[in-house]
Amino acid sequence: MTTVVEPVAPVVEPDPKRRRNRLRRRNTVSGWTFILPNFVGFALLTLVPIVVLFYISFTNWNAFGAADWVGLKNYSRLFKDRSYRVALWNTVYYTVFHLPLTLAVSLGLSLLLNRKIKGVAFFRTAAFFPYITSVVAIAIVWNLLFSPEYGPINQILSFVGVDNPPRWTVSANWSMPAIIIVATWREMGYYMILFLAGLQAIPRELYEAARVDGASAWGRFRNVTLPCLRPTTFFVTVMLSIESFKVFDLILVMTDGGPGQSTYVLSQMIFNKAFVENQFGYASAVSVSLFVICLAITIFQFLINRRSER
Amino acid sequence: MKKRLLTIAGAVVASGALALSGCSNNNNGGDTPSDGPITLTVSGWSLQTTPEFQVLADAFTAANSDIKVEVVEYDAADYQTLIQVDMSAGKAPDIITIKEAKVTYSWATGGQLLDISDVVRALPANVSGAGSYAVNGVNYGAPYRQDSWVLFYNKDLFDAAGVAYPDGQWTWDDYAKAARDVTAALKAAGSQAVGAYEHSWQSTLQGFANAQSPGADLFSGKYDYLKPYYERVLALQNDGAQPTFGTVTTNKLTYQGQFGKQQSAMMAMGSWYVATLVTQQKGGEADDFKWGIAPVPQYNSSTFAKPVTFGDPTGMGINAKIDSAKLDAAKKFLTFVASEQAAVALAEIGIVSSVTGDAVTDAYFAQAGLPTDELSRDAMSNHETKPENPQGENIAAIQTILGATHTAVMSESQSVDDAIAEAQDRVANEVGI
Repeated sequence: MTTVVEPVAPVVEPDPKRRRNRLRRRNTVSGWTFILPNFVGFALLTLVPIVVLFYISFTNWNAFGAADWVGLKNYSRLFKDRSYRVALWNTVYYTVFHLPLTLAVSLGLSLLLNRKIKGVAFFRTAAFFPYITSVVAIAIVWNLLFSPEYGPINQILSFVGVDNPPRWTVSANWSMPAIIIVATWREMGYYMILFLAGLQAIPRELYEAARVDGASAWGRFRNVTLPCLRPTTFFVTVMLSIESFKVFDLILVMTDGGPGQSTYVLSQMIFNKAFVENQFGYASAVSVSLFVICLAITIFQFLINRRSER
Repeated sequence: MKKRLLTIAGAVVASGALALSGCSNNNNGGDTPSDGPITLTVSGWSLQTTPEFQVLADAFTAANSDIKVEVVEYDAADYQTLIQVDMSAGKAPDIITIKEAKVTYSWATGGQLLDISDVVRALPANVSGAGSYAVNGVNYGAPYRQDSWVLFYNKDLFDAAGVAYPDGQWTWDDYAKAARDVTAALKAAGSQAVGAYEHSWQSTLQGFANAQSPGADLFSGKYDYLKPYYERVLALQNDGAQPTFGTVTTNKLTYQGQFGKQQSAMMAMGSWYVATLVTQQKGGEADDFKWGIAPVPQYNSSTFAKPVTFGDPTGMGINAKIDSAKLDAAKKFLTFVASEQAAVALAEIGIVSSVTGDAVTDAYFAQAGLPTDELSRDAMSNHETKPENPQGENIAAIQTILGATHTAVMSESQSVDDAIAEAQDRVANEVGI
């Protein structure tokens, strides 16, 4: 990096305050110039649709013609709608199991692959692979694996002595666990990368000091690794909870919400109401509720994080 | 601080204006010279593999040289979304093809389609399916294609099993008995093929129950009539006479593979499969075997003379924003697509048109590779086809609910009674019936 020092002409500046103002204005302009391209894209493609979404949720728009204002009718319908409660419950069920499981598995993987072992690059790539694989391919292969009669998973289970292996994606009780397993397998690689980056930022001296103090491996993990990873863990938790609440594509291609309504989640309800039943007003109200839930959880997590930062 | 807020507000307003100006390019399209030939535009999809639009356009222009017809291609998978975007932007073609009849309600009540009751009233009596486009007594579409469900059976497998072919006088219990007999005989002979195949769609069961059961009505909110149909199929599934629902969904079985590769001896399917099976047998994707078409099994013997089945037509309506100078030509085109002349042209390329009659049936069975027995001819031409999705505001919501019922029952996650009770509760709660 070379620094070009421009010859500054000796200018007599009568008023230092005005000079400061001009400098500030110039900084503001150049700052705005830098973020403008991104901001215009964000405003056009994200902000405007979101604002419109809030408006539509108060109307009965059906994709054509006028959107009549119906006030809070869509929201009062939400509270009475049994399917909404089912979808909300299923989404919470998914999140409550998927979040800690993915967190633990990806942290475990990153600890495992943060050492100097042979072929570490290969194993890291292998763990990341599911994340970049097409979700349709994943769904087809896992559905085959889960097949109750001919699938290898149940064949192994019966081989090791399980009498009535679960019927996975064709059972109302086991379809959600099946989805959670696949989702965890699919996303662990991505969060593993984040944890790896976090692990490598921990100063080596801390471990050395802990070792000198006689800390065991578990003690080093608890008292050095975990506290130093807290910013990463926080970020991963926020991302994971938002992603979990928004789960959609995997469920759509694996079970399409079934059997019955056993894997029917909020995003799928939004999709169905809007694009299958043409009830865009009601679908928008469901979207707003999902937005509020995600926002509330994120704020809660920020508050917890700030408290533990002190 | 205030200044910064102003700048942000300015940016938001500017981007909003940009977005609006992008949408406001309101161009009704279409060139309409006051005299000379008129050009009509028609929406279609996958023109390479769906030649029907061009066939209709060419046949029409051959008879009406002063009207040109241009087909506008859309993506088949996203057809409904894309055409809806074009309709609300005022850029859709003059003639709108209605791919799925169930959207008619929202398009019609949304003011996107013209009332064409005069055209439909003048159609000959042998045209079926127009009722699928009627909303509150007003017609919005003319059907040109009407597939309906028939029973495909593999003559070679029936012969090997020594079981008599379907004779057009079957109830569903006869069908179930034949499925079991064929399965048992083939198993004894060391074959893995089974008697029947039922695809995972809800229509493979509910379509028949809705069309055939006395008093069945999707809008009644009462679905007890589904019970005998489900109990029969669950028994078939448990006896191994058809692949289980779990196998069909988890192994992603295709109905083309299952019947075409002789894994099942019988299969109820829409008549569109005739053309597919012929092509696949020619191309080697399907095995070479003798097959036939029979009417679908009935609820009881009272409908043997005119078997009741179901299916939704494909039709065309007129864009409400059409240039008034083109309106007469557009109505002429719709009258044409539901005529015997158009039907014969469609039959020659293997499409089941909305018009029935000897000329059409002859043209259809003149294709190479089709069965030639009398029952097959009869099955394709003599039946009463009820709409799969009767028009009504809540049809999509009701079908979604019954779709969940189907997966719950077929996977045996819920008993038939519980699933039906839940469907009725949900329809009452969510649809208000």
